[in-house]
Amino acid sequence: MAPRIQSRRLSNALLPYLTSSQSSSTSSISSTCPSSKLFSRQFSSTAASQTRLRRHMFQWLSTEGAALKHHIPGETNYLPSRPDRDGNSNESSRPFPGNRNFVSESVLSEDLRNEVYVRVVEKKKSLRAVSVELGIDMKRIAAVVRLVEMERRQRAQGKPLSLPYARAVHEMIPTTALAQEGERQPYHEPINDLPAHPSTGAQIFYPVPESRSFTRVDAGRVFSGAPTLEKAVADKISHPSDLVDEIIENPNSIEWVGKGEKARQVLQPADVRIPHPQLIKLEIDRKAFPNERRAVTQRHAERLEKQEAAEQQRRERAQARREKSIQHVEPEGSRFDYRIQDAKFTRETVGADGRAPWAPGRRYGVPADDRKRGMVKIPTRVEA
Amino acid sequence: MVLRIRLARFGNKHTPFYNIVVAQARSARGAKPVEVIGTYNPIPKKPTNLYDDSTHVRPYKEIALDRARAKYWLGVGAQPSDPVWKLMSMAGLVEQKPTTFHKA
Repeated sequence: MAPRIQSRRLSNALLPYLTSSQSSSTSSISSTCPSSKLFSRQFSSTAASQTRLRRHMFQWLSTEGAALKHHIPGETNYLPSRPDRDGNSNESSRPFPGNRNFVSESVLSEDLRNEVYVRVVEKKKSLRAVSVELGIDMKRIAAVVRLVEMERRQRAQGKPLSLPYARAVHEMIPTTALAQEGERQPYHEPINDLPAHPSTGAQIFYPVPESRSFTRVDAGRVFSGAPTLEKAVADKISHPSDLVDEIIENPNSIEWVGKGEKARQVLQPADVRIPHPQLIKLEIDRKAFPNERRAVTQRHAERLEKQEAAEQQRRERAQARREKSIQHVEPEGSRFDYRIQDAKFTRETVGADGRAPWAPGRRYGVPADDRKRGMVKIPTRVEA
Repeated sequence: MVLRIRLARFGNKHTPFYNIVVAQARSARGAKPVEVIGTYNPIPKKPTNLYDDSTHVRPYKEIALDRARAKYWLGVGAQPSDPVWKLMSMAGLVEQKPTTFHKA
């Protein structure tokens, strides 16, 4: 697709109204806003003079603001910030000079998002691999694929798209461009971020003898209240990222602690929980064998392939299990299909009194909270 | 007294949702039943995750049923009501009831 950057100058739609004749706007203000000052003048026949602030505004619009009336395509049209103590003021990502904490984040450019779609859907690469290649978060990759899919469908159906709007917005905000051939693709955002786990919020005083090694694996066990690892098991783990392979292949291998409702899985080290755990192994390899670039890359690719195969297999198994528990019935002469799901109404699934909140079906004698304040009714997630 | 397998309506106005329950035949619809053995959502759902809207897919209705409990209660003589009979015949637990009408 052709780039959406246009050579033609676009003008800000709001500015003509601001610079229009002042008498009409003042009269409308005096009729609608009964401030004490205006009340005192209501029998006066002299035209109200401009307020000081308003005069300053028009003065600004005719001098400094005039430069912002037309924006340069491909560049942000933000107010220039006041130079700080060091005298540098060229910060194009801060739209509000008074609020230095607000940084406008860049969005994916048109080419980059189309490239994401091509790699995922047409070249059949995994979301994980594309995320690492283009430096985009995996969730964003998934969202982009869905949205581009939707856009293509709308185009195919001949539905109108608001392209001028998209074009105008893309021209005025910072974007991450797709790298040219041979260039290195800049990272759009950090891809390996990890939200703080709620169970790490507790401040725990846990004395450990100096002679004992205490790693992230042990810290996770302390946070989740699990007993210390056996020495034989702990000695086998040379680096916390060693656990990744096993857990990806079989997530049920993570140990459980606690009983009943309080049962929880042992908190794993960050090396396991991050979105791209395989990058740690890659970095370790790179450090260990700085001269064998190709071998390291190949080993990384192999690991990735193995991991993806395991994940794919697991997904298929789960899907098959789900399908097996659902019976599809298509009655003759009916407008609808029926899906009959196996359910278990036992003491474990409905609780001793039959009113467990997780039990299938609706409860007896328990108020439905569906109309309470703050209950979210719209879907909050998309099933993959 | 007769035990019936019947539907108990839940849900708000215009959004019915039923529990499939085993209850004494003369107890109230909203009374606490002997046992809940399933659910039935009569509001048809559209299959999601379809990349092509143009293909015609039939909407579906969801039933959840504990087959083991249903079989047990049928075995001890609980009588399904007509709507539950229809659902159970689709699940293959009872023979389909002969229709008393003929479609044109």
